[in-house]
Amino acid sequence: MHEVVVAQQIVEAVVDTSLRHGGRRVRVARMVLGELACIDPETLTFAFMVACRGTCAESCLLEIRRLPLVLRCRECGAEGQRAGPVEPCSVCGAIGGDVLQGREIRLTTIDVDDAGEACGKEAGIEAIMSGGGLPSRFRA
Amino acid sequence: MIELTIERGLLDDNDRAAQVNRDRFRKAGVYVLNLMSGPGAGKTTLLEQTAQRLRDRLRMGVIVGDIQTSRDADRIGRHGVPVHQINTGGGCHLDARMLEAALDAMDPASLDLLIVENVGNLVCPAEFDLGEHDKAMVLSVTEGADKPAKYPLMFCQSRLMILGKVDLLPYLDFDCDAAIADARALNPGLEVLRLSSKTGEGLEAWTDWLVGRWRAVREGR
Repeated sequence: MHEVVVAQQIVEAVVDTSLRHGGRRVRVARMVLGELACIDPETLTFAFMVACRGTCAESCLLEIRRLPLVLRCRECGAEGQRAGPVEPCSVCGAIGGDVLQGREIRLTTIDVDDAGEACGKEAGIEAIMSGGGLPSRFRA
Repeated sequence: MIELTIERGLLDDNDRAAQVNRDRFRKAGVYVLNLMSGPGAGKTTLLEQTAQRLRDRLRMGVIVGDIQTSRDADRIGRHGVPVHQINTGGGCHLDARMLEAALDAMDPASLDLLIVENVGNLVCPAEFDLGEHDKAMVLSVTEGADKPAKYPLMFCQSRLMILGKVDLLPYLDFDCDAAIADARALNPGLEVLRLSSKTGEGLEAWTDWLVGRWRAVREGR
């Protein structure tokens, strides 16, 4: 439900990284998103598209890699993917387990142009801080 | 095209702010509880009852988060405890920076117990560390026993689950044992209290729990 805030944070981090490497246009941003994170990927993609307007990441592609839920069984210690956090262990049938993977909301890499015009400061953090391309109702 | 590495968790900024709050709470010697639930589960009514029962035992304050209005703060404030309202203006949860800003309006060092009533939402508040000592949640029995399985994160994060509105159980098909079993499958150490703010059932156990946690944190346990 907080996809707009997360999208703004992604744009901030992406633009910040690009500016530190000459401010080239960003083409792809990649992130991992655990199945247990309270984030809907489609909503996040839409919010990101809007939030990066007016920055050097405008129109860039957001690649979201879903990380499946991995639990460690508290009874037998078996580690494995589960469809949900209260699904039974495939080895011993015990319900639930400790979350080893599935809560991630993490940016990993971006692709930027290696040539071409560098984006100016106006396409950077200031654009995001003033709300960037967000409709006014989403601005702080 | 050049690939640049970022490797940055999107909650890192919040986690840093939460640590600032945590240090502040430790210096102030105040026990801080983040109280969460879906909307309408009965957090505010519970806190009204809590204020009445605890205000002579502990110096208690409440910070309450809502999208709009100061209705909750007005209600709790009538019971003689300091209250500060945060309006998130659309935000679906409190984050550590919002709480930090609110702390300037309420001196933590003047309190023994600070309860943060989060925005009513069974999903997002669980994702954000505020720097609190404990998270507790209310699951009211009108919400259905399947909620731990369907909305797992908050149940994973909480130290205490209050089963609220238990006075309504005779009129519902809510299976308490199934709800508790699912919640404990997610979080084996989860403590559970059955409570009704209407009849008073469980209120003493709840205030005793708060005093016990305040004492444990004060004594560094």
